[in-house]
Amino acid sequence: MIGVSDETSPVGRVLGTADATPLQFWTAVAPGSYLQLDDVVVTKRELPDREPVTIAGVVTQVRARHEGAQFDSDVFAIAEGTLPALVQEAAEITTTRVDPELYVPPAPGAVVHRATGAARDAALHFDRMERRIPMGTGRDGVPVFLNADFLDGTRGAHVSISGISGVATKTSFATFLLYSVFRSGQLGADGANARALIFNVKGEDLLFLDHPNTKLDEPTMANYKLLELPATPFSDVRVYAPPRAGDSSGAPDVSSRLTGVDAFYWTLEEFCDKKLLPYVFADADDERQQYTMVVHSVTAHLNRYATPAEGGISIDGRRISSYGDLVDHVVEQLTDDDTRSTWAGSAINMGTVNAFARRLIGSKRDLSRLIRGDLASRRPHQIKTAESAQVTVVDLHNLPDRAQRFVVGVTLKTEFEEKEKAGTGRPLLFVVLDELNKYAPREGTSPIKEVLLDIAERGRSLGVILIGAQQTASEVERRIVTNSAIRVVGRLDPAEAARPEYGFLPPAMRQRALLARPGTMFVNQPDIPVPLCVEFPFPAWATRKSESGPPPSSTLRSIVQSADPFAVVGGRGAADDDIPF
Amino acid sequence: MTRMFVDAWDPSYGSSFEGGSEDGPSSSSSAQVDTDVEVPAAEWAPIDVSAAVRRPDVVFLVDGVRRNDAGLWTAEEDGTSYAGLAASYAAGVVRCDLARGSAELAGAEVRRGLFTASPSADTLQTDMIRYEVRRLEGPGEASKLPSAVQPRLTELELEISAVARGGSDDLLVVDGPLRNRRHLVNTIGYVKTQQKLYLSAALNVVVTSLKPGQRTPVFHLGTVWGGWSWYLRLPGGSGAPWSGIVRIECSPDLTADQAIELAEISGATLPRFASSPYKDPRAPQNLVPIAGLERRLRGMLGDARVLHRALTLATARSRT
Repeated sequence: MIGVSDETSPVGRVLGTADATPLQFWTAVAPGSYLQLDDVVVTKRELPDREPVTIAGVVTQVRARHEGAQFDSDVFAIAEGTLPALVQEAAEITTTRVDPELYVPPAPGAVVHRATGAARDAALHFDRMERRIPMGTGRDGVPVFLNADFLDGTRGAHVSISGISGVATKTSFATFLLYSVFRSGQLGADGANARALIFNVKGEDLLFLDHPNTKLDEPTMANYKLLELPATPFSDVRVYAPPRAGDSSGAPDVSSRLTGVDAFYWTLEEFCDKKLLPYVFADADDERQQYTMVVHSVTAHLNRYATPAEGGISIDGRRISSYGDLVDHVVEQLTDDDTRSTWAGSAINMGTVNAFARRLIGSKRDLSRLIRGDLASRRPHQIKTAESAQVTVVDLHNLPDRAQRFVVGVTLKTEFEEKEKAGTGRPLLFVVLDELNKYAPREGTSPIKEVLLDIAERGRSLGVILIGAQQTASEVERRIVTNSAIRVVGRLDPAEAARPEYGFLPPAMRQRALLARPGTMFVNQPDIPVPLCVEFPFPAWATRKSESGPPPSSTLRSIVQSADPFAVVGGRGAADDDIPF
Repeated sequence: MTRMFVDAWDPSYGSSFEGGSEDGPSSSSSAQVDTDVEVPAAEWAPIDVSAAVRRPDVVFLVDGVRRNDAGLWTAEEDGTSYAGLAASYAAGVVRCDLARGSAELAGAEVRRGLFTASPSADTLQTDMIRYEVRRLEGPGEASKLPSAVQPRLTELELEISAVARGGSDDLLVVDGPLRNRRHLVNTIGYVKTQQKLYLSAALNVVVTSLKPGQRTPVFHLGTVWGGWSWYLRLPGGSGAPWSGIVRIECSPDLTADQAIELAEISGATLPRFASSPYKDPRAPQNLVPIAGLERRLRGMLGDARVLHRALTLATARSRT
């Protein structure tokens, strides 16, 4: 039973000039009041011999018009003060809750109240959520929540975020959602133990998650307080970056973040042992491609015959210490008539081998910095969330396309296999991946897409939650999108917004998505029939070098790194750009 | 060759002047007319709006509408029958604040009456509405009933305008001749339809030669309901000699100077209220605020079909 409390103010009455239905009706707004989109309202319908039905809904359209004007030009006469007319506003209400569930239309003339407090929570089903994760504030400035049951796999999992790059703030929303999961305490121990694996695709935006944001102002702090979240950066972050190209020491390739960054790479031994070769080819599993047979037989051959040799491998009696050498060796063996059949089987013609060789040679430039035979295998270099911090950021932005696919594919496969081996859904692992349309396109198959499909379909029970972001949901594998319980939309491209993937948005909201501001998202969750408009706060962590505060002490691995060698002794910390004399 | 003009008014409203000839009203009035009030009759000429005139910021306009909802017949105990008329009528005032640019309904009221001469007829009460019985004297033929509504409407207009004005002395424009409303302060009667010719043929030429916005000099009518009067041409007419011409009157209790001042004010105020032909079937004489007011009032009268059905039901119930 939703309470229509006395404090709530009447804002209008149900219209009688348009049909009122149980699921949608129009309200005339009383003079001196207003209703805006997303406002929550509630009305009552008296019934004979029964308790009254409370109908609650959100405003999905508002209109104003001159009553008493017949022609468009009458507006000038009205503004001049010669024609009497009345400005009448009306709001379309889409029902979110009927309590008790008796689907009768509200009676025209019934008073409509603005819902606040408990009535608002009830209208938006927040009262039925046992664990609710704050997502931000609604248009009315009051928190809106996400039902944790649909995020952690209890009743559903996975998040799909769509929107134009740059203005839709997809990654920011994903990180804020993670922060809320970790810090709201709503998930209990699951929330504290949960891990996150974030792939940083663009810029170095996500490398400062553990740095405080110096641009954090009072209103934003108040916003965090309203959401009952601390306004602090992520507390436990580890950043992995690929080794610098052409650098034999394997130092991480980052330019702005200098401390607490580890390099990640795979040794040749791991490459052969874990059968990583298929991930080099984006379309290796495409049945139409003949050369995929070669890929699999070469992978099997390397797995069987390669033996570790101090970082590198040794095969056919040759020591190989770099990816380039390995590629050269494989190509040499395949083009040699004597050895070809042992590597690729007997029924392979030369054209197929050449197709394979061409692609393999092409991968040399992109992957040689990631697959190494010259670095010590004992050195920690693998991305493993279980042994890493709460948040693991993998920086891909410096890598070419093929290398990005390789890293994402291999990392996800390794993590998913670990989870499968453990056989339990806990701790939860959140995977944040932007540009999902690149890794799991609607057309074709690839080993990476298989891994992502596995996560989408089985991840819920294994505790792997995919937070996927893409510009266009219509270009992402449909099974991944449909498996996402929570769908989020930022600003959309007009042509994209018309596609059926966004059918969950009512027409008015679809139009609004075309002009959504950065920081505004529309969130659809299974137990609320209308998507909610959410404004999430400015991040409390730095999103670029210029706004980052001092790094947390845990990232200072040595005394040398904690002291700035260029700082003037006794200086008062002048700005970086100042000329030091 | 005679130039021809199509009258701007919709034919169902008649013509803006009731007469046979296309030159204007044909029936001459026998009233005593004094045309030497403002200028001697020999010097009559169109008068332009003077620049010095005080233009009121706030103008009130009053109008009423009426509708016959149903005709009824009574069956008396003695076997006779009387005609009855259930009518709804409404009056309202528009307050045009020209300085602020807002026109609002300053007051409006709807009343309903059952007009009949039947001595036994009772007030008709339906679920939503009430038709108060208004008993008429005499035989009360059906054809006389509609005219019985008009005094009631005028009465209501008077009430409403007194309340809406609240004692201010802003200009009040009354639709139609002033008649018994002549005691209202600072009030002009606005006559859309010219039925009588009050002026001599020589002076009528001055009327037809008016340009939009111009008025004739003030003259005095010596009839029962007479008083000060003048003609004004509104903009937007077809160009026909009598198109856009309205006659305006004010109370005979005023002095000639006061009447001339009102005439000046009307010339400065009314033309901006003139309506355009494609929007109003009685353009330009039917003023924009009046048209808007009538639309609102008609809306307030309620749906005719609903009322007719309600009356049918109510009478059927009363018979059983």
